[in-house]
Amino acid sequence: MSHPVLRVSDMSVKDRSGTLLVDRVSFSVQRGGAFVIIGETGSGKSLVAQSVLGLLPAGLVVSGRIEFDGEVVDLADRTALRRHWTHHLALIPQEPRSALDPTMRVLPQIAGLGQQHRARATMSSLSLHPAVERQYPFMLSGGMAQRVLVAGALTTDARVVIADEPTKGLDDDRVEEAVSRLRQIQEHGRAVFAITHDIRVAQGLGGQLAVMREGRVLEQGPVDSVVSAPHHAYTRAWLGADPDRWHARKASGSAEPVLEADNLSYRIGSRTLFHDLSLDLCQGCITAVTGPSGSGKTMLCNVLLGLARPSAGTVRWKDGTDPHLVRRPPLRSRYQKLHQDPASAFVPGRVLRRQFADLRSVLPPGYMERDLPSLIERLELDAALLDRRPDEVSGGQLQRIAIARVLLFDPLCLVADEPTSRLDPLIQRDVMALLRKLVDERGMSLVLTSHDRRLMRAVADDVVRLG
Amino acid sequence: MAAADRRYLWMSGVAAVLIVSVVAAVWHRDPLHQDLMVALAPPSLGFPLGTDHLGRDVFARLFHALPRSIGIATAAMAAAAFFGTSAGLIAAASNRLVDGALMRLTDLALAFPGLLLAMVLAGLMGGGTMPVLLGISLAQWPQFARMTRTIAATVLTEAHIEASRLAGLAEWRILLRQVMPRVLSQTMALATLGVGGAVLTISSLGFLGLGLQPPTPEWGAMITELLPYMDLAKIQIAAPCIALFLTVLACMAAGRRLAEAR
Amino acid sequence: MQRAVRHAIPRAVFRRVLEAIAVALILATICFALVHAIPGDMALRTAVSRLGVENTSPGAVEQIRESEMLSRPLIAQYGDWLGAVVTGDIGRSFVSGRPVAEELLGASGYTLRLAAIAWLLSYAFALPLGIAAGLAPNGALDRATALAAAALSSLPTFMIGIALISVFVLSLDWLPPAGYRRPEHLVLPALTLALGLMAPSVRIIRNAVVEVQDASYMTYARIRGFGRIKAFARHGLRNAGVPIVTFAALQFAYLMDGFFVVETLFNYPGIGDAMVKALLARDVPVVMGCALLIGTTYAGISLLAYLICMALDPRLVDEGHGSR
Repeated sequence: MSHPVLRVSDMSVKDRSGTLLVDRVSFSVQRGGAFVIIGETGSGKSLVAQSVLGLLPAGLVVSGRIEFDGEVVDLADRTALRRHWTHHLALIPQEPRSALDPTMRVLPQIAGLGQQHRARATMSSLSLHPAVERQYPFMLSGGMAQRVLVAGALTTDARVVIADEPTKGLDDDRVEEAVSRLRQIQEHGRAVFAITHDIRVAQGLGGQLAVMREGRVLEQGPVDSVVSAPHHAYTRAWLGADPDRWHARKASGSAEPVLEADNLSYRIGSRTLFHDLSLDLCQGCITAVTGPSGSGKTMLCNVLLGLARPSAGTVRWKDGTDPHLVRRPPLRSRYQKLHQDPASAFVPGRVLRRQFADLRSVLPPGYMERDLPSLIERLELDAALLDRRPDEVSGGQLQRIAIARVLLFDPLCLVADEPTSRLDPLIQRDVMALLRKLVDERGMSLVLTSHDRRLMRAVADDVVRLG
Repeated sequence: MAAADRRYLWMSGVAAVLIVSVVAAVWHRDPLHQDLMVALAPPSLGFPLGTDHLGRDVFARLFHALPRSIGIATAAMAAAAFFGTSAGLIAAASNRLVDGALMRLTDLALAFPGLLLAMVLAGLMGGGTMPVLLGISLAQWPQFARMTRTIAATVLTEAHIEASRLAGLAEWRILLRQVMPRVLSQTMALATLGVGGAVLTISSLGFLGLGLQPPTPEWGAMITELLPYMDLAKIQIAAPCIALFLTVLACMAAGRRLAEAR
Repeated sequence: MQRAVRHAIPRAVFRRVLEAIAVALILATICFALVHAIPGDMALRTAVSRLGVENTSPGAVEQIRESEMLSRPLIAQYGDWLGAVVTGDIGRSFVSGRPVAEELLGASGYTLRLAAIAWLLSYAFALPLGIAAGLAPNGALDRATALAAAALSSLPTFMIGIALISVFVLSLDWLPPAGYRRPEHLVLPALTLALGLMAPSVRIIRNAVVEVQDASYMTYARIRGFGRIKAFARHGLRNAGVPIVTFAALQFAYLMDGFFVVETLFNYPGIGDAMVKALLARDVPVVMGCALLIGTTYAGISLLAYLICMALDPRLVDEGHGSR
């Protein structure tokens, strides 16, 4: 374990204006070992991987040295770095399906003519069915495509395999599978260098962990010691953001239901998303809807909100009306939704204050002067943010502004559709804590959809499983 | 593109049209006045661009043709944009049956070569302003319908539409405030590009003798009429050619800038 | 999966053929409607175009009304006409009295020859230029072709033709002015059309190449050790091919517009020339025959292009999974 296959020293990345994006990062990857960089969006972790591969976007300048098995290369020398592709470096790209040429069958893509034998052997060692090699990429599932890419990496002589966000966009129960694929790479005697925002990848792989923030490595060391005894406050906050470590919430719900749904079914063509589903939503309760992607979580929410008509069954709101039978239900605006991507929940390019003013036909007069400022204050937002356009506000803040808009309607029931899946873990924790507090304060009913089972366990009073 | 930049673009367009109209109004010669004594005269002070085979002033004809061509092209594109955009919006906002029917119709209409439709219409109706206008807008509306429908359908799936529906806002308000602005910016760009194309079509029809009928001054027709005298009337042929080229180029450049502005 | 693929191709072809027929039929119907919608007496117009203004007498008009059966209800005329079209009989020319099919057969041969040469010529230049421009976006060649394309697409076809005539015929005297008998006669019309075709296709090819270059499978291929050129040859050409072929078929519409002008300008006896002459003479059967022929050819070409695209991109075969 003493001899590194790859050693990076003093890597710095600057953009054209001279802003430092990566600040003197040094690390080494041991033969057959694992090295994981963890950090939130914009921490510079992807730039590190791109620099190692010599694939930085044009306009960025890198300095520093890299050492492959004792051979020193200047990081700025892209052509020299490229000579080490396939010999030292292989990549498992972020989006496995789009990394494959859609017009070519699988096998010839991952291996040239001379290596097809070897590629077949690797593919079967990854338990890919022999028929897969003749299929086109669009016929593969995301997980299968990733396995194909792993096979491709193992077919080369590369001693280091770089995995770029190997768990991005994966359902909760697929994360374990993806990590075990990376472990298989190690079993073949290669080292894994992973870039991720998911602490579970680091824990699954073992080896070394580096925590990055704003271009700097805050701390670095063996995974176990970093996780059990973090030195840096940020690392502690990050680890604390893991839903498994949240404080359990004590149920405070009253029994009064705001929504009753009976025997709901929904079919698309021959596919049944849910069948004969009944549920009650009570004031002050958090109900979680969970299931793998495509299992109908969003559709169920839309049915409850009266946006989509169920194939069978009834929904009754608090005043007893069925939103699917009444053209303009009186309680329409008190059954609200918080969207997954706050950026798309606002009209692009329109100043936020004007978007609030657009609601004047459906809200009581004076809300702009009376209700909005106090809400903005309650949500710990700067009122000046309202004079910006949606793309000029960060994701976490925009989600709070979206919450403010929803609260203007004094909702009886709020459906939050994966409200934090696009946010970094620390912000996710803040937003979830805020939502929990609001449920307690206002006594509304919160429906939370997520594929993150741990998050559900941490916050929900009640769980509906789909799929 | 900044709003000031866009305003500059519009202002230069309006200024160009104004200048041309003023020149056409002030220039004292009648574009229809024939004088065989001075037929095919070379450029001089009295005839800055010479005369054609019937002794008509090419300069006057050139400047009288411009507002007419641009006018017909703009009117045709405006009509095409109006009907096309309406059809696209209706398709995007209505159920699958109406949507499907409208889009099949659009597909079919898109399959016809543009000049062919205008030609058949103008040709069979005997040329003139209305047939040309009608032919061009009939050939162009499907483009607008298709584009509007694509943009509107995308916008309608965005979360802010759902947010507004949940707030209880009326559907027409949502279409007007959240969908139309996105459609309009692209419609304007396509229409501006289209005016250039329509000017080309008008001149091509004129060249084939199927467009505006003589003696109305029209660039394409001016060129055809003088082709038999190509050796003697180089300037007289080149002038409408250059005018046509510059007009179309200007429309295309403006349209492209508008499209990039989004 | 295999079975789905085997069924998908005939189904797609069947759908496209139906569409092609629909396009042709609707085009023909529009023509028929237009002919009868224009104000004025059909028989009188026919008589004038057949006999000339001086020789037209009320008797002759009535005789034509009888022989062409123009006094019957429109719907019956439409039915008759459609029935005849289905059996391949598209009527006789008002002007020459010969069967339209016979007249168009000769003309379409000339047009086909011209079209094939022009199309090949344009892609012989556009493909290398577009690929070279796309491989080095914003390079000197890319800017030059962008500028040339913008200028060329602002020029009406007849102006390109006139410019070529004044250079090669009047100034240099290298080529004969107009005609159709010798191969030299084809050079200028084909070049005129090819230049007009090239302007947009160079840009389309360039954009397709740029897009493919940016695709993540391209980066991935290069990391697996393929050089720039080799990676492009392996993955780029085929992927870029789909939009290029689709556009090449669309260009038939442009080519058709070009025929009207170019054939008139060079006095070349093709379909475009026949149609313009027929329109000027109000020779309705010939106009409708031309429209039918153009409609069916266009539909046939887009069918062919679709089949080529299916061969290039397997996703199109299996539309359930396809990304289009």
